[in-house]
Amino acid sequence: MNYEPRIIAFLCSWCSYTGADTAGIARIKSPANIRAIRVPCSGRVSPELVMRAFDQGADGVLVLGCHIGECHYDTGNHRAAKRLPILHALMQFAGLEPERFHLDWVSASEGERFSRIATEFTEAVQALGPVSWRVAPGGWQAAAESLLPPEKEVPMPALDCAGKTDAIRAKAKELLTSGEVGCVIGYEVGPRGRTRPAFAYSAEEADRLVWNPDVSNNLVSYLPVKLKPKGKELPKKVAVVVKPCDSRAVNVLLAENQFTRDQVHVIGVTCEGVSDGDGSLQVRCQACSEHTPVVCDTLVGEPQAVVHAGTVARVDWLEKLPPRERMEFWLSQFDRCIRCYACRQACPMCNCPVCLYERDDSTFIGLGIGLNEKRTFHLGRAYHLAGRCVGCNECERACPMDIPISLLNQKLAGEIEKTFGHRAGLAVVPSPIVTVLSGEYKEG
Amino acid sequence: MSKSNSARKRWLISQAELEIWLDGLAQARTLIAPRQVSGIMLYRPVAKSNEIAWHGQTPRSAHAGRPVLSVKEIFFPPTERLFTIQKTGQEIRLEETFPDWETVVFGVRPCDARGVKLLDALFLDTNPVDSFYARRRGNTTLIGLACQELGPTCFCTSVGGAPDNAHDMDIMLYETDGSYLAEAVTEKGRFLIPVCEWKETTASPQQSTYSGQFPVPEKGKWPEHFNDEYWLKISERCLSCRACAYVCPTCRCFAVRDEMLAPGQFERIRCWDACAGENYRRVAGGHQPRAEKGERLRNRFFCKFFYYPEQYGLGAASACTGCGRCIEVCPAGVDITEVLMDLEKQA
Repeated sequence: MNYEPRIIAFLCSWCSYTGADTAGIARIKSPANIRAIRVPCSGRVSPELVMRAFDQGADGVLVLGCHIGECHYDTGNHRAAKRLPILHALMQFAGLEPERFHLDWVSASEGERFSRIATEFTEAVQALGPVSWRVAPGGWQAAAESLLPPEKEVPMPALDCAGKTDAIRAKAKELLTSGEVGCVIGYEVGPRGRTRPAFAYSAEEADRLVWNPDVSNNLVSYLPVKLKPKGKELPKKVAVVVKPCDSRAVNVLLAENQFTRDQVHVIGVTCEGVSDGDGSLQVRCQACSEHTPVVCDTLVGEPQAVVHAGTVARVDWLEKLPPRERMEFWLSQFDRCIRCYACRQACPMCNCPVCLYERDDSTFIGLGIGLNEKRTFHLGRAYHLAGRCVGCNECERACPMDIPISLLNQKLAGEIEKTFGHRAGLAVVPSPIVTVLSGEYKEG
Repeated sequence: MSKSNSARKRWLISQAELEIWLDGLAQARTLIAPRQVSGIMLYRPVAKSNEIAWHGQTPRSAHAGRPVLSVKEIFFPPTERLFTIQKTGQEIRLEETFPDWETVVFGVRPCDARGVKLLDALFLDTNPVDSFYARRRGNTTLIGLACQELGPTCFCTSVGGAPDNAHDMDIMLYETDGSYLAEAVTEKGRFLIPVCEWKETTASPQQSTYSGQFPVPEKGKWPEHFNDEYWLKISERCLSCRACAYVCPTCRCFAVRDEMLAPGQFERIRCWDACAGENYRRVAGGHQPRAEKGERLRNRFFCKFFYYPEQYGLGAASACTGCGRCIEVCPAGVDITEVLMDLEKQA
């Protein structure tokens, strides 16, 4: 049987679409499998469009734009060049065969080039056979339970919590009494003995603040709302207690103009790791090498080097699986998701007023709590965090269904570091994938 | 339907007899039971009784034997197709898709069964009857398993339940030293019991000696606390996620939407929604009457202890079953028992 793949091609109106026309005028043969969608610029092709195409049953997606330097809008294709490879890596990680997605450059005069790229791509997709990305309702059953390799248990090191608690309380009282800040966001121990976020507005309330091995919440998540101007009035300055990983989130939010540096007093606390609740270090802390906050106004604790045993590289383990098994793994994880959005709400970087995946008029994702929707949400969210995620792991901790969501973020953080040499939040700079290319770009 | 305690028939069976019975049930019907799924416990279909997590403890939770989601998801699934719409030329055809398979749920906890009973008040006992819920409910038999002890976040005894309360089950099992005392609570339950094979007994389960852990504010007390500053304060740490509502056995809000399947083909679905969400109550034009998260969190508590009981005639009962799931899953440490105790103190 002759299998004819369905291929969606997003073609830039100025170059590639015209290039396809040129191929037609010159009567160069191109495969009929290509369904061309004309877009104003390859920079317009958001990752959601590509994912939507696959969700709707495309066997392959081709994105063609102007050569770098020839963009009608100067730098529109820089965005395509920067973000689509990241999306490609993410979708591969979720189990898509790499050959099914391709980004290339075709100018208006290159009819022959268009035809060659289209033919090669179609043949590659044809060789793979029909895509298995889209899941029919009720059409997926777990073949076998796919479990991650067990995590190594590293016991919690002994910590000087009493000293840090005293220092935090003293600073909080000083800031509140002097009226420098209106509120101190820190940790308290709740009635059940659980450590949780606390908001102190007076010196008396500051006595509730503590530091202990369970200070897991990333309190920076509360800042964007707390510091949002009400009308023309700026809210009072807020002090926040941060761990080193949380402090990086402050830098990312500053780079994104969520608030200004003088609106917040950062009480940075040195950290040797946080407990998982059973007396062991959290997995993320096992691989963490930052023990001193990168930004703070007050430093609590003595910076010290702590060497932890390495962690089981769960991302590597997943990457070594064949694509089909990797897809099975992720489907079995996303199957448990109930779309409660705890991951998103706990994330300091997820601060859009209305989430793209929750808009009433969203054309990228349905309302249902089905596998396609859940996967699109998680992959889309991971993509939106590329170059911004600081690895605080609150998403995974907040998940009531124990889905290892942070693996997606870790994968993209690695990808961003490899490509752009960028680690989120070490300085006040935005994610590299929202900026233009710098230096010489090599095609191919 | 349910008979008084003393008139209920009881049988004493061994673990092996129980497993043989469950295996038989799984062959003729869909058997749903607590099962380990990638490290957490959920109510999922099982093909044989050896797949059941009997006394399973999840690695990350100290909670003994309680699935993360309640049995609610069996009667009121996260997403349900109501009907499909097919448009051909000028003709439009609607086709309902009713679920009609027979299901037995094993290992139901008394708090969860109570939750189903509370959902009945809205979906079954109030017009219009929800035909999808009714169909599932009618086709499902609940086999309860009494809890051996209270978990760390359990407080069913404070809201009128008990870990061994058989009231809302069809069949109730009490575990005693490796054997089980089975009790037929309803006719529907008795129908499933192999009366010829099991040995009937006159023994009765141990009398429950549990008493309430803390007093819960009465329904009439709630309205006076509506404008309290307290709600803004307690909600500050709330992240406005919906985990508490989705794991709750009695949260039952949903959204309905038509979605396209293919050109000319649509489906109407309904899926879970929750008042904690930032756009839950937004109306046409964009106005959001519950813009503050304090107002949204307050609604959650009022709904459990005032609105729902008031609207659906639950009397003095609340719509909270005390399962404690919301306490367990809250990433920010919001604790419903703390709220109840604080209100009681203020009253």
